[in-house]
Amino acid sequence: MARVKLQITRRAFMKSALAGGGGLAMAGLGAGAGLAAPPARIIDGEPGWFYRGEIKRTYNYCDMCPWRCGVIVESVNGQVYKIDGNPADPKSRGMLCARGQGGVSFMYDPDRLQAPMVRTGERGEGKFQEVTWTEALDQAAEKIQAIADEYGPESIAIFGHTSGDFWLTDYFAQAFGTPNAAKPSASLCTSPREEASTLTFGLPVGGHEPVDWDYLKCLTLIGSHIGEDSRNTLMQDYTNAWARGAKVIVVDPRMSTVASKADYWLPIKPGTDTALLLAWMNVIINENRYDAEYVAEWTEGFEALKAHVQAFTPEWAAGITELPAELIAETARVMADNAPQAVIMPGRHTTWYGNDTQRMRAEYLINSLLGAYGRQGGFYFNKSPYIESYPHPPFLVKGTSGGCSAGPSEDVANAPLPAGPTGKHRADGVREDFLRGATAMQELIDPMISGEPYPIKGLIVYGVNLLNSIPDTERTKEALKKLDFVLVIDVLPQEHVAWADIVLPEATYLERYDELWTVAHKTPYIAMREPAVEPLYDTKPAWWMARELGLRLDMDKYFKWQDIEEYLNTRLMSVGSSLDKMREQNGVIIQKGKPYFEDYGNKSPFHTKSKKIELFAHELELAGLGGLPVYEEIEQPPDGYMRLLYGRHPVHTFAKTQNTPVLHALYPENEVWINEDLAAAQGFKDGDMVWLENQDGARSGPVRVKATQRIRKDAVYLVHGFGQNAPGLSRANGKGASDTKLETRYALDPISGGAGMRVNFVHLVKEA
Amino acid sequence: MTDYAFLLDLGRCIGCEACVAACKTGNELPTDLQFIQISEKSTGTFPDVTSLVLNHRCFHCTNAACVEVCPTGALYKEDGLTRLNREACSGCSYCVDACPFGVPQIYDGFSSKCDGCAEVVKAGGTPWCVKTCPNHALMYDTRENILAAAQNRLEALKGRYPDARIYGETEAGGLGMIVVMPDKPEAFDLPENPEPAFVIKAWQDLVQPVSAALTGLSIVVTGALAIIARRNHMQELARFEEDLAQREVAEATAGDSSQETTAEKEEV
Amino acid sequence: MTTQTQTMEHAHHRKVLRYSVGPRIVHWMMALSFLLLLFTGMVIFLPFLSHYASGGNSRLLHRIGAVIYMSIPVIYLFVDRKALKELLWDSFHYDRDDMKWLAHVYRYFMGHAAEMPPQGRLNAGQKLHHAGVVIFSAFIVISGLILWFGKGYMGPINLGIAAIFHDVSMLVLTVLLVGHLYFTFVYKALSGMTSGYIEEEDALLEHPKWVEELPAEEPWVVEEA
Repeated sequence: MARVKLQITRRAFMKSALAGGGGLAMAGLGAGAGLAAPPARIIDGEPGWFYRGEIKRTYNYCDMCPWRCGVIVESVNGQVYKIDGNPADPKSRGMLCARGQGGVSFMYDPDRLQAPMVRTGERGEGKFQEVTWTEALDQAAEKIQAIADEYGPESIAIFGHTSGDFWLTDYFAQAFGTPNAAKPSASLCTSPREEASTLTFGLPVGGHEPVDWDYLKCLTLIGSHIGEDSRNTLMQDYTNAWARGAKVIVVDPRMSTVASKADYWLPIKPGTDTALLLAWMNVIINENRYDAEYVAEWTEGFEALKAHVQAFTPEWAAGITELPAELIAETARVMADNAPQAVIMPGRHTTWYGNDTQRMRAEYLINSLLGAYGRQGGFYFNKSPYIESYPHPPFLVKGTSGGCSAGPSEDVANAPLPAGPTGKHRADGVREDFLRGATAMQELIDPMISGEPYPIKGLIVYGVNLLNSIPDTERTKEALKKLDFVLVIDVLPQEHVAWADIVLPEATYLERYDELWTVAHKTPYIAMREPAVEPLYDTKPAWWMARELGLRLDMDKYFKWQDIEEYLNTRLMSVGSSLDKMREQNGVIIQKGKPYFEDYGNKSPFHTKSKKIELFAHELELAGLGGLPVYEEIEQPPDGYMRLLYGRHPVHTFAKTQNTPVLHALYPENEVWINEDLAAAQGFKDGDMVWLENQDGARSGPVRVKATQRIRKDAVYLVHGFGQNAPGLSRANGKGASDTKLETRYALDPISGGAGMRVNFVHLVKEA
Repeated sequence: MTDYAFLLDLGRCIGCEACVAACKTGNELPTDLQFIQISEKSTGTFPDVTSLVLNHRCFHCTNAACVEVCPTGALYKEDGLTRLNREACSGCSYCVDACPFGVPQIYDGFSSKCDGCAEVVKAGGTPWCVKTCPNHALMYDTRENILAAAQNRLEALKGRYPDARIYGETEAGGLGMIVVMPDKPEAFDLPENPEPAFVIKAWQDLVQPVSAALTGLSIVVTGALAIIARRNHMQELARFEEDLAQREVAEATAGDSSQETTAEKEEV
Repeated sequence: MTTQTQTMEHAHHRKVLRYSVGPRIVHWMMALSFLLLLFTGMVIFLPFLSHYASGGNSRLLHRIGAVIYMSIPVIYLFVDRKALKELLWDSFHYDRDDMKWLAHVYRYFMGHAAEMPPQGRLNAGQKLHHAGVVIFSAFIVISGLILWFGKGYMGPINLGIAAIFHDVSMLVLTVLLVGHLYFTFVYKALSGMTSGYIEEEDALLEHPKWVEELPAEEPWVVEEA
């Protein structure tokens, strides 16, 4: 972080301390001994930043991970110093995780892209020339227009992630007329849980899993590793529940941190979760431990389910999952004993083995048998906040383009698919290769290569680390070579930036206004983002780029607003607020939710055809995908290979933060977790440097061995996001191993279009 | 004066490192310096494994070995916490060796450690780590309140961990970091008794003052006696010279022959 | 008579070479490095001086002093091997007179050298002084090296023991220095370490056995009045 050296005398220092002190007292609990001459600051003897001038506080929602906690950004003399949770924000509640704390460091990363650039070398070479914004935007618009003229606007694909993605992936895409807009958060992450939820309840899970934590008595996590996946609110809620004595059951082939604190750790054989879930249902139903009244009132298909699970005894599951039958039965009973304050939490990243929607359905069925939905201490019904969109003429593409949730609909399967103005719908093979769900990003790669079902000729990538998130990176590179035009918008020179024709540098969330963050929650709320400081270098916010491109592509009618403040104030007017009013109200607007059944009167909160929880999914049955979940055996690793599992580290988000100086310092490179005994048998020990090689000969590394008793012998584990090959990232480049590069294949979920990535096998190779 | 303290609840801590990052950014620590280290320690064999989250940081001992050995007063106690005035530090690194927890580090030539966010607290704020902890594993308050809170936390923790205990109520004269822990201190790599080593205490409390006193005494005594002794010596020297002169005169009168006699005498 | 008087005059101004130039240089190097070490050490010993230690410059000077101090035996070896050998041998060998001398040391202390048993080149007190310097210098050097190179690795016990040895050695050496200065003052012995010569009568009074063994010509200088 750049630090301004200030020559401040003690006297001046005291004055500024008093000037800023009142504000700081607001931020803290005021438990201090009062203002006295502070000692010299810890390292360089300068007074702390909060003594260097007046503290400016701006409201924002964090962009260091997609959870997006409300934060207060503190800056002094045009320099951002500290980010803390906004106490008024329902997600952060005044607290923040390591990633959020690292936001300042992310912004001041000297490796940032600093000016628009045009490619001068070959794609992938990374040779660019800096140009002006006008030149860059004119050229980009020209290329996009040319493709649209020849192939139709559908031939432009737009991939977007991070919190400015709305402007490109939603607003621009729909206005421009392409249904091929996709977010990795869908088919590479949450699609299975969302589609399973929509199929079962007619409701999406939504961003924030609606667990009614405050009253929870029993929590079951299947692969979720709260704490390592440091979603601020989840950590708060989980730890409070745990400390209150709620039972915690963790199913994970690896003893995650949360598993180490759990009451039950079930080190399951990877890929057999559905067998465990079926056995749990068997116990709950056969021992009459389900909520019969709730099941009768709110569910449909119970008798079919009961018949279905008869064969799936704990003993049957024990042979498959490699867990003791007694433990399976006991944990089922613990759940049932605490019902309805007992939930299996839907994870977030659920694209594992290709049969993931069925597994998620199985989880939901147990929650339903326990009567958890709409009950205090189970799952509340979340609700989106009320606010109007900015008034604009109808978009060329109707319907959602992707993202975490497909939106509630009563008949998703038969609803017309979003299509562009020339009538072509999504090119990702939906309803042919898979049933439903948000646009599957990885399925848009093939059309770029094969031109089927129609050619995709242009690609706009906003904030997606393309070569470190989509499996089969060689295929992605092939596609990138074939495209007529690649536009990349990013903050950092990520690996895929080298493949762009034009690069547009984005201002970070601390330097820009942005679309309102409207959150479906127990208490629906709206959070705002305003800049703390002017953008560094020659960077611009996404809204500005989307608008400038739009104006150059004859889309003026969608961009009537002159600037973002006008846009935001217009929207806020519909809820009787404005940016100024929001600032007075701690940067959030909180509305009333409808969390429980009581809040719905005689109406059903469920949006399925039957208005009930559909234990038996007719839509799946009709599609030949099975109305009830079944356990299907998946391919096992060949001799000498282990299944590659991956997850998170608490200080890193995806493949985004590895280069952030403060966070890099805390976890500079990942390690490969391998069972200690297995490692010893293979001649490896803790700390050895190795390469990982997968079943197709793809290699990644070198990576350090973490030999541990905390993992099964049939799997290894990597923290995702490392092993990046991006020379522009001075810290992250080449550190650790990349799980993505070892995922040369994936299993397409026939229901949700999710890309199951835990179907790759690796072995350790001594460093050459 | 009121003593303040932190609460560190190792039951609740799930190692998310939010505190580490908040400390680093709030205190503008250099990239390669951190005052809190989070790690995990596991024992047993799969699947019977126990794994604990270790949260290593300054424990703010009342009987602080670092303060005890610090020759310049750069380390000092204030409000029950161990502060560091890095400007006064000489970089001798005695604190690094003396600390029973291995907390102080020499960074850029000088001692570096958590000072309980002295500056932040004096400006009316809350220590950065406490403020951000999503797991409520950290608290900052008067020592009295912290001890009461620790008791409550302990009661809750005992349901799951019968060996749970509070660490720091009396250890090393009472720690400014009251730790609620699910297991014995040694399970968290913490010393059962972090009292400064006897030699450390003997050094500064006994050897140094005694040495200073004895040196001072020797100067005073010799200073006082020097004049007298020198006068004595000058007098005896005068007498000796007189004797010497007389003897020479005698020798001279006796003539050359007497020299031989003297030589003979001496041989005998 | 006149000739006799002249001889007497000459006798009174005879000086004897006590220390040749080599040992003198070594002595002053040792003295200066010890004082440097003492003062730079004192700043972290006496709390009211501690602000001079801040920043670590005193540590640097202390280490420079330490290197000089530790190299003195080596330098002595090169400068005057014989003198060093003699010094070490003498410091650890005491005859009957020495023992008697020590028994009556309080008289010597009070400035009465005349009635003391006859002493050689070094009196028993000087021998003890040198022995003390040798032994405690070894202690202070070893403990100092431990404190220097064990820094950050040695842990509390080693730190405490090394520091105590260092401080106690410092105490002993400082008290020896105080005594050294005291006797130098009382017996006005400074010239032996400056010009190298002392008055004949001083030599005869305090080191008669040495004077006897001296060769008749070489170390004597006769000063014309």
